[in-house]
Amino acid sequence: MHAILTIAAKDLRLLARNRGHLVFTFVWPLVTALFFGTIFGGNGDDSGKIPVLLVDEDASEGSAALLAAVGRLSGVDAKANVEGRAAALGAVRRGDATAAVIAPKGYGAAGDRLFAGDPPVIELHVDPSRTAEAAMLEGQLMGAAMERLSDVFAGGERSVRVVDRALVEANTAARPDPVLTGFLGEVKRFVGTRTQASADAAGPAEGGAWRPVAITRHDVKDERDGPRSGYEVSLPQGVIWGMIGCALGFAMGLVNERTRGTLSRLCTSPIGRAHVLAGKGVACFIALVAVQVMLFVLGAVALGVVPGSLPRLIVAGLSLAIAFVGLMMVVATFARSEQSASGLAWALFLPLSMLGGGMVPLFALPGWMQTAGTFSPIKWGILALEGALWRGFGWAELALPCGVLLAVGLVGFGVAARRFDRTA
Amino acid sequence: MLTLENVRKAYGARVAVDDLSFEVRAGEVFGLLGPNGAGKSTTVSLGVGLLEPDAGRVDLGGLGAPTRPEVRARLGVAPQALALYEDLTAEENLRFFARIFGLRGTALAGRVEAALALAGLTDRRAERAVTFSGGMKRRLNIAAALVHEPSLVLLDEPTVGVDPQSRNAILDRIVALRDAGLTVIYTTHYMEEAARICDRVAIIDHGRLLALDTVDALIARHGGDPVLVATTSGGTHRESTPDPVAALARLAATATVLDFHVERADLEHVFLRLTGRSLRD
Repeated sequence: MHAILTIAAKDLRLLARNRGHLVFTFVWPLVTALFFGTIFGGNGDDSGKIPVLLVDEDASEGSAALLAAVGRLSGVDAKANVEGRAAALGAVRRGDATAAVIAPKGYGAAGDRLFAGDPPVIELHVDPSRTAEAAMLEGQLMGAAMERLSDVFAGGERSVRVVDRALVEANTAARPDPVLTGFLGEVKRFVGTRTQASADAAGPAEGGAWRPVAITRHDVKDERDGPRSGYEVSLPQGVIWGMIGCALGFAMGLVNERTRGTLSRLCTSPIGRAHVLAGKGVACFIALVAVQVMLFVLGAVALGVVPGSLPRLIVAGLSLAIAFVGLMMVVATFARSEQSASGLAWALFLPLSMLGGGMVPLFALPGWMQTAGTFSPIKWGILALEGALWRGFGWAELALPCGVLLAVGLVGFGVAARRFDRTA
Repeated sequence: MLTLENVRKAYGARVAVDDLSFEVRAGEVFGLLGPNGAGKSTTVSLGVGLLEPDAGRVDLGGLGAPTRPEVRARLGVAPQALALYEDLTAEENLRFFARIFGLRGTALAGRVEAALALAGLTDRRAERAVTFSGGMKRRLNIAAALVHEPSLVLLDEPTVGVDPQSRNAILDRIVALRDAGLTVIYTTHYMEEAARICDRVAIIDHGRLLALDTVDALIARHGGDPVLVATTSGGTHRESTPDPVAALARLAATATVLDFHVERADLEHVFLRLTGRSLRD
């Protein structure tokens, strides 16, 4: 054990004196976490909302109410465009805004007509590359317009005015429809009753405006104590890159021992080959844990990423470190030179990282890639970290990813020890 | 001290060492010479326990095979490559290797001091090896093999790439170590070095032992007779003879000798005579 710790201490000292390795191990993952965290929404501010410009060409009560309703929509960062239609469309064309919502002249008047005439028109101009957001906006606009329509039946001065106008238009039509005029008469009585009730109660009648359907939104992340910011998603990715950088450095170090001859010297000492490999493994393990501690402490202090369960995060982190020690040893024992170690490591880690969500979050990958990611220890590593950070995993849920990681580590060590014994 | 008996080692169909036997005696500098590809490195690896023989026996000091860790504790190895950690200081390198060999506390500190002094690096102890010259690295490489006071040390071409001053210093220290009782196995391609410091020399080729004896005995046995080269009024006279003095006397009786010298065979002559002059890989 003394020999193993001696080798580990030596390797950690060498790590501390290798600036390139230090940067790749400790700084690069932090940059990665910040970069991806910012891309995926940062601290949950308005940067994730759809920028929409509002243009009111009608300047009516109805158009103002519609645009106000659009401004209240969740997920929309609405701005009134004082420079008019041309400026709004130019901004969308340049990509400065995702869409422009225009209430054209006549919108208010058309909205005050019931069961007659052309429907009120709302113009939605969208960036053609943002079809998903456009579809969402269209639905939300329809909802806002329906809200305005349903207000007609809530009672009040506008309700009376709209229904009276509809009755006049129905009675003066070239071929009056007695069913429609009868129906509108009933509506007029209903609206009048609700208007009177509102006046008596000095407030809206009980029940308020009628809604055909009410959709209540519940973010799943809230129920699952989910990611409060993009950094909670990106920090595990940063940790993974830190693991890769650190493991790669140690793999190169072991290969370097072989090419420089220090491995031969160690193998002619009283310690066994397994001690040499174990010493490397211990040093690598300590460095991997140190990388994680640094990143999670920085994550907590600077990015507000607080783990849901610290004990589970510790178990996940240790399991991840063991897995990477095993992978490091495999790379180191199969490579014959520093160049081949680097090539082999990237050939191994890049696809594993791509498939496992280390570069792009798993949810953003195509289905087949998500399925293929099952075979990547990176996926299980991220899942274990996320489980402890924000997914609210219990011990039972954490057991699978951690078990996979431990198995990867043990198999890696076994394969490497066998290979090392034959080739050292 | 180190015995190889009928040792054989093959890599697939290629036989690197074939029925090789020799013994390195305690307290001698034992030269191991051979052209490239002769099986020298394999022999060394077998001797220090890096390889196990396919057949035969290797024994270190009656303790058994050096493949056993406790037997290897008596060995010191300075590989031809500079087997050092360049980002560690001279002292840190020596401390590390001393610890690996189980030294602790004051014993470790004392041995590190002695090794630094041996390498002439006491004043540079706190500097990283990467900053050292080739000669300083070579000396540190040897010191790292000696820091744990082994009984037998293997020095694999320890003077490659160093200046004459460092080479002389290294050779003098090896002789001093031998005089202090250390057994040294010395491999080199520099024949004059082997002739200077080796008590006995083994020449191997194609995995077999071609010759083993003192340098003088090897020259006497394989070098051929000395050659008398004399310049007379009649021209240059060359004569291979076991008694150059008698030959010179005979020549002087018949002609006026203007100049003469005797060419004696050296170790390189013996080496080339035994291993041939064809180029090796």
